Amino acid sequence: MRPDYIWRVASRDLLSTLRDRRTLTSTILIPLLLIPLFTLGLPLLLGKFIGGQAQERQQVGVVGTLPESLRAALTRDEKTPDGTVTRAGVRLVPVTDPKAAVQSGDVDAALRAPSPLPRRAGDGTGTLEVYAKLGNLRAQTGAFAKVQSTVEAYNRELAVQRLGTLGLGAQTLTPVTLAPIDASPEQERRSGQLAFLIPLLMLNFILTGAMATALDATAGEKERGTLESLLVSPVRRSEVVAGKLLATTVTALTTALFSVLGFLLSGVVMRAVLARGDTPAELTQAFGGQLTLTPGSALALLGTVVSAALLISAVLIALSIYARSYKEAQTYVTPLSLLIVFPAVMLQFSDFLTLSSGIYALPLFGSMVAILDTVRGNLSTGHALTAIAANLIGALLVGLLALRSFGREEVIFRN
Amino acid sequence: MLELRNLSKTYGKHAALRDVTLGAPEGEVFGLLGPNGAGKTTLLRIIATLLQPSAGTAVLAGHDVGREPEAVRRAIGVVNGGMGLPARLTGREVLRSFAGLYGLTRTQADARIAELDAALDLGRTLDTRAGEYSTGMKQKVVIARAVIHDPQVLILDEAASGLDIFARRTLLDFVAAARQPGKLTLYSTHVMSEAEEVCDRVAILHEGALVTVGTIPEILAQTGERNLERAFFALVRGEGVRHAS
Repeated sequence: MRPDYIWRVASRDLLSTLRDRRTLTSTILIPLLLIPLFTLGLPLLLGKFIGGQAQERQQVGVVGTLPESLRAALTRDEKTPDGTVTRAGVRLVPVTDPKAAVQSGDVDAALRAPSPLPRRAGDGTGTLEVYAKLGNLRAQTGAFAKVQSTVEAYNRELAVQRLGTLGLGAQTLTPVTLAPIDASPEQERRSGQLAFLIPLLMLNFILTGAMATALDATAGEKERGTLESLLVSPVRRSEVVAGKLLATTVTALTTALFSVLGFLLSGVVMRAVLARGDTPAELTQAFGGQLTLTPGSALALLGTVVSAALLISAVLIALSIYARSYKEAQTYVTPLSLLIVFPAVMLQFSDFLTLSSGIYALPLFGSMVAILDTVRGNLSTGHALTAIAANLIGALLVGLLALRSFGREEVIFRN
Repeated sequence: MLELRNLSKTYGKHAALRDVTLGAPEGEVFGLLGPNGAGKTTLLRIIATLLQPSAGTAVLAGHDVGREPEAVRRAIGVVNGGMGLPARLTGREVLRSFAGLYGLTRTQADARIAELDAALDLGRTLDTRAGEYSTGMKQKVVIARAVIHDPQVLILDEAASGLDIFARRTLLDFVAAARQPGKLTLYSTHVMSEAEEVCDRVAILHEGALVTVGTIPEILAQTGERNLERAFFALVRGEGVRHAS
């Protein structure tokens, strides 16, 4: 194969891609905007939502009467020394049918005590039924959470009072204090619990970026009648396939690059947001918002991503050359995203799986595990090389299949 | 310049081309005539190395089509009615890109583009993106692309189909001017009047078989008809058929 011919074929396809606004949007703008939106926007939105629930004064229905001190605790606002309300109390309203009141939306939660509740420690025990839409995040983080924490505080207060009469302190209730210490490496901690989504996002962006060029350079060329002119020129079929593979991979990698830039951009904005202090650090961390990469892990990520881009590009070209038109090619390649989504979803259970080294030898899935390991800072060189080699071998085999298709009359003239 | 011997092409049980033997010397415009499905496109695709014959041989400009496809592709330029252009590239970009594939330097390519601009009246087409072309403009650039390397053999397959009267005239004038020593133009059409205007000799194909080959006066004399279209009907109906060998 002659590199200058390969480059001539590739540059033609790349120039065409560069002038397509839709492709530029999916290649550059979407990863650049979507990743910060995911790693920053979502935590900010959730933070605002949860914060908003704390500030909101929810309506809670009551059947019968509650002990006066419990009523006072439920309706009391929590304030900072300067008077700012950090958590608003609830508004108690009488209801007759607690379940119906919650279902109709008249109240956010409703309370019913089948028997009188203890007013002092030693008065016995009682049950307080709390009616709420427990599958609803708003109820969970709002009225229900406030009732739950208030009742826990009430219980503790009664117990401490009783202990006081016996001459014992509050610490009697907790002879052993649990002190959890996160022993996971710094990198793993920073990657967040939702780090498994990073391989999904990266490979999906590679697929999206590669798709437009691959389809245009194969089925699109057939449809326009430009492929035949290329095939009667002195370029060899292998050079045509290699050129198209190069163009597709470059576009795919450009998308991947912009998705990495999206992460970097998130990091910069994250520092500014955390400095303001109005978003919980744990929340942003959960979404990978504090992710950082060492030079070694960046290199491993690059190798994995490049090899995955090559494999995805080869698959796209091999599939779409069969299509009669761009539209038909789209129907062939669209299900490919499921090949990325399903294994990526499996990754969230990776903590429960004993991952053998063999898993890294699975093309694409091995890359996903390797990317996840990279962001968690525990990728071994052997696993990285295995994942890269698996992708390269896969790309070579699929590339040969594509080459065979380019040489078959029934494929080239299938229209 | 072109030698076809017992050339056949079958698709399953369907014979698209049946035992065609013919030759065409340099310096002429050689017509391939026949209705749709006659086998003209299959024949030209074999010559252009796009299809492999099921049997027989084809030698073009001294190169065996099956054994030396790359040398054949360097010697030919191909235009067919279905050929298009990359919509987001300008005519000049397309021509420069193909010139590079034939080994022309940027200076040589630009000089050749200027020649073709004069011959085909490309004008503003050169710097307009192909997506904005009319059918006529597109076909001019397709022709320019096919001859950017000044090929020995120009293959035109239904190249005038869909063209308006001006673009068709430019094409036919260009084909007439391509009749030069050392060069061969293969002109395939189902429009007999086009063949009468530009072809020195023609081969008539019908249902994959060669019906006759000769100059137009020879074919008219053979059938006793006054024009090529009537002669074609007479030949395919078996009246006065002289199967070429």
